[in-house]
Amino acid sequence: MKKTLIGFAAVAAAAALVLTGCSDPTTGGGGSAPADWPAQDAKLDGVELTIWAAQNSNKVPESVIKGFEKLTGAKVDVETIPDPYEQGVQTKVATGDKPDLAFWQPTGSQLTALNAATNLQSLDGAPWLDATSEDLRDITGFLDDTRYAALITTPAVEGVYYNKKVFADAGVTDLPTDWDSFIELGRELKAGGVTPFYEMAADRWSTQWWIHVQLADAAADGLWDRVNANEEKFTDPTILSTIETYKGLIDEGLFNEDIKTATFEDQGDALLAGDAAMVVQVNSFFGQLQAKASAEELDEKIGFFPIAPSGNIGTFIPDQSNALVAFKTGDATKEAAARQLLSYWLGDGYPDFVEAQNTVSLQDGVETPDTVPSALLAVSDSLGSAVGSMQVHAIANPDLYIFLADMIQGTKTPLEVAEATQEHFAELAKAQGAEAF
Amino acid sequence: MSSRPRGRRQDHPLWFLLPALAVLVIFFFVPTIFNFVYAFTDWSSFKSGIGFVGFDNFVSLFTSGTLVNALRVTLVYAVLVAVFQNVFGIALALLLEKDTRLNRAARVAFFVPVIMSALAVGYIFQALLKPEGALNEILGFVTGTEVSIAWLGDTTWTIVVVAIVHSWKWMGLSMLIYLAGLKTISADVLEAGRLDGASWWQTFRHIRMPLLAPAITFNVATALLGSMNGFDIVQATTEGGPGGATELLNIFIFRTFGQGLFAQATTMSLVLFLMVTILAFPVIRFLRKREDVL
Repeated sequence: MKKTLIGFAAVAAAAALVLTGCSDPTTGGGGSAPADWPAQDAKLDGVELTIWAAQNSNKVPESVIKGFEKLTGAKVDVETIPDPYEQGVQTKVATGDKPDLAFWQPTGSQLTALNAATNLQSLDGAPWLDATSEDLRDITGFLDDTRYAALITTPAVEGVYYNKKVFADAGVTDLPTDWDSFIELGRELKAGGVTPFYEMAADRWSTQWWIHVQLADAAADGLWDRVNANEEKFTDPTILSTIETYKGLIDEGLFNEDIKTATFEDQGDALLAGDAAMVVQVNSFFGQLQAKASAEELDEKIGFFPIAPSGNIGTFIPDQSNALVAFKTGDATKEAAARQLLSYWLGDGYPDFVEAQNTVSLQDGVETPDTVPSALLAVSDSLGSAVGSMQVHAIANPDLYIFLADMIQGTKTPLEVAEATQEHFAELAKAQGAEAF
Repeated sequence: MSSRPRGRRQDHPLWFLLPALAVLVIFFFVPTIFNFVYAFTDWSSFKSGIGFVGFDNFVSLFTSGTLVNALRVTLVYAVLVAVFQNVFGIALALLLEKDTRLNRAARVAFFVPVIMSALAVGYIFQALLKPEGALNEILGFVTGTEVSIAWLGDTTWTIVVVAIVHSWKWMGLSMLIYLAGLKTISADVLEAGRLDGASWWQTFRHIRMPLLAPAITFNVATALLGSMNGFDIVQATTEGGPGGATELLNIFIFRTFGQGLFAQATTMSLVLFLMVTILAFPVIRFLRKREDVL
């Protein structure tokens, strides 16, 4: 009798857990009307806020937090989520764990990944928007026409970092003005015994930049809208041909010999030492160079120009350290305090922040420190005309970079890269409930 | 049963089991059941609702080649680890069989990797095996030429290298179990063999190996089935590369889960669970059969 009772109890308990457990813990939220924006200096004694940050962004808010705590009496904690940051945050949020604010890539695909409509506060009508430079105000941070992310620094741009000395030694005086002249320059350098391009297939992630920059014009022409609607595929000529071009350049010998085993660190060393002339990379690459050389040396040695088939157009790709999102936590006081912190960050706290980070200002009224390296200024200058990368416009972010690295290792052909990417993209799009998939 | 005093049973009523049962149900049964249930849903990080989709996840996973490739890689890896770990383990056990002071110290030394963090082991080997890493420098010093072999950059052989790293970490445990097995062999049997003029090899082949059968069962089964669940060492050394050559199913699952495709990741882990189960029964049955001689 007792045995059957226990058996019954166990089955009942298990069944109850299965039934109650079978709903997403992140359900809830609701109402998305833009809320009021408290004054920057409203008192917040006893309020504690948590900011999630990655290993490379957890020092970013220091000056802001200090100022904000002093001004309002709030307490702000930065919690570092280990790398891979995006995966860690997504997993935590999926299980119902949320901070008040988090660093987050402000792109459509990444906001979708956080289920923005349910989990994030709308930042429409934020007080700092008027002060933000017009070029940059609406560049990113939206999903379905709602603003969810606050841009704090200039988004990264994919473009060409080059070694000025290598160019000078090879007698190059004019920078390439379009894709053809860029490749032509590569061939000339190669003929002169210089390694024109350097790629790092062991660390994989930068392989996709070569595809993105080739697609800049197509992207401006609505390529990603068509991909999102499943009207155009990665296997169609527009994208496939860029993969084939990339493969062709590698086969032609225009890249470093150790392309298969080279890492991010090797790439930085090679460009600094002049072992290679050019690298297609983003801002974090320059961050890597800054860790290895002084500001003067970098100004002297390293330059930047954007590139696209039709001219010097950059491809921008904001990353996690460029922006913050505010979560709907269900606690009205904390939600308002989180908005207040953002107003302060991009309001009275912004000059200090730009100074402390030694970075380019997003606001016309706040001056960029003159110690910012020239290459970074060139990067931010290119933003005005830049086009969004795949991550910005596509609804999902497939593992294109992994498949491209596979191609470099020799286990995939360009067509197989396109097929695998399309398949992965469709899978992600379907999971999001995209209509066409 | 009838010989047991009645009062004893009442000292320990069955409902005393409830707390332990609750822990078992919550932490083992329910997650396992969820693993089955979620595989048939469209659970993801992208939306709040969870709906049943039948066999959709299985169909899309098996039609894309990635899962099949990951399964193949996982199986090859597991077999390689099982072979290397046992060969290393038994060789060490034979080498360090005698209870001398030196051997005792050596046993400890070989056991140290077992208690080390697998990720730390992976990162250390990643540094050693880089093209400009220590191993190539040593080889270069010995041969007098510059060596720059990409140990972790070969689409064919890297899986062998990583399996050896995995075996290196766990060989101390196999050694310990084989040592224990060797100790249980009666000295009389070995002496009888020696008196009959059996050589070292004959003693090993015909007396000690058969008598080690239980230890072999345990070691082969744990190495094979444990390495099918491998993740940490491969993640630290190659992250599944180069070109997907070492992409174990668990690495694939980790990546898929991180992209918010929770249902697909659950489906894969269910497939892995089934594969381990399907493999476990015949392997263990076969190895147990060898013990019948005892």
